[in-house]
Amino acid sequence: MAGLDPLIHAPARLQLLTTLTAVSAAEFSTLREALGVSDSVLSKHISTLVAAGYVRSRKGMHDGRRTTWVGLTDAGRTALRCHVAALRRLIDVVE
Amino acid sequence: MESPTPPPCPHEAHAELAAADRARDRLAARLRLPSGLHPALAVAVAVQVGTAGVGIAQQTAAGLALLFAGLAVFLMTAAWSLHRFRVINGVRVDGLASQVVLGADTTSSLVYLGSFGAATWAAFASAWWLVAVAAVAGGTGYALGARRWWHAYRSEPAAHAVGASPRLLAGLAVIACLGLAVLLVLG
Repeated sequence: MAGLDPLIHAPARLQLLTTLTAVSAAEFSTLREALGVSDSVLSKHISTLVAAGYVRSRKGMHDGRRTTWVGLTDAGRTALRCHVAALRRLIDVVE
Repeated sequence: MESPTPPPCPHEAHAELAAADRARDRLAARLRLPSGLHPALAVAVAVQVGTAGVGIAQQTAAGLALLFAGLAVFLMTAAWSLHRFRVINGVRVDGLASQVVLGADTTSSLVYLGSFGAATWAAFASAWWLVAVAAVAGGTGYALGARRWWHAYRSEPAAHAVGASPRLLAGLAVIACLGLAVLLVLG
């Protein structure tokens, strides 16, 4: 299907990117709780999306402890928009 | 290298989009503003408008100091509020920063400019009660604009999350201070 991005195809990654559209950056544990996934699963998805340039991450502090802040890049925002549009076209075919 | 996965059927696509929207809305719904944000913002803007009006009208070094003191009160209140928001929620929302620091929506901008102009005019006319009224009106309008933005954000988080970055806002604050100083020196 044209427009479907294999990197965003996994439901957890679609949820991660969509959740990031609500903020400019989110702390790792905040994302983990919002998405209901384990540290290792979230970490793996973030690493893949960072490598693709869809997400940026930087080390920082939160509540006095070291943590990772994650945000959507412009490329990630565009890729998400295209992927969601492709999914909607898929849905429209049968509606 | 990830193995290719087949495209979802329409039903699966619908479910995936719905789940993604729910995850985003879940995060937005749990975000909380720091307690007392709106009153603090109202007071800070009122102080800034009042001191700026009086400071400009005085056209002296003391007036300049008063102007910058009011600006410092506002900027410190805004910075503290945004810091608290980040600590409480574990997220940064640049749209909120733009709203708090710049009064980014049209109503807030117009209310601020109107009250600032009225306060300055009243200070030149030595109508001190009018300076106070304009300052309070400006602060109240600004805080109400922030409140309205927050409700809009909660209902459509993705549409309202984007705004000026903290670095850009800090840069604008420095430029504003320099601009005011130049205006006062030239005046």
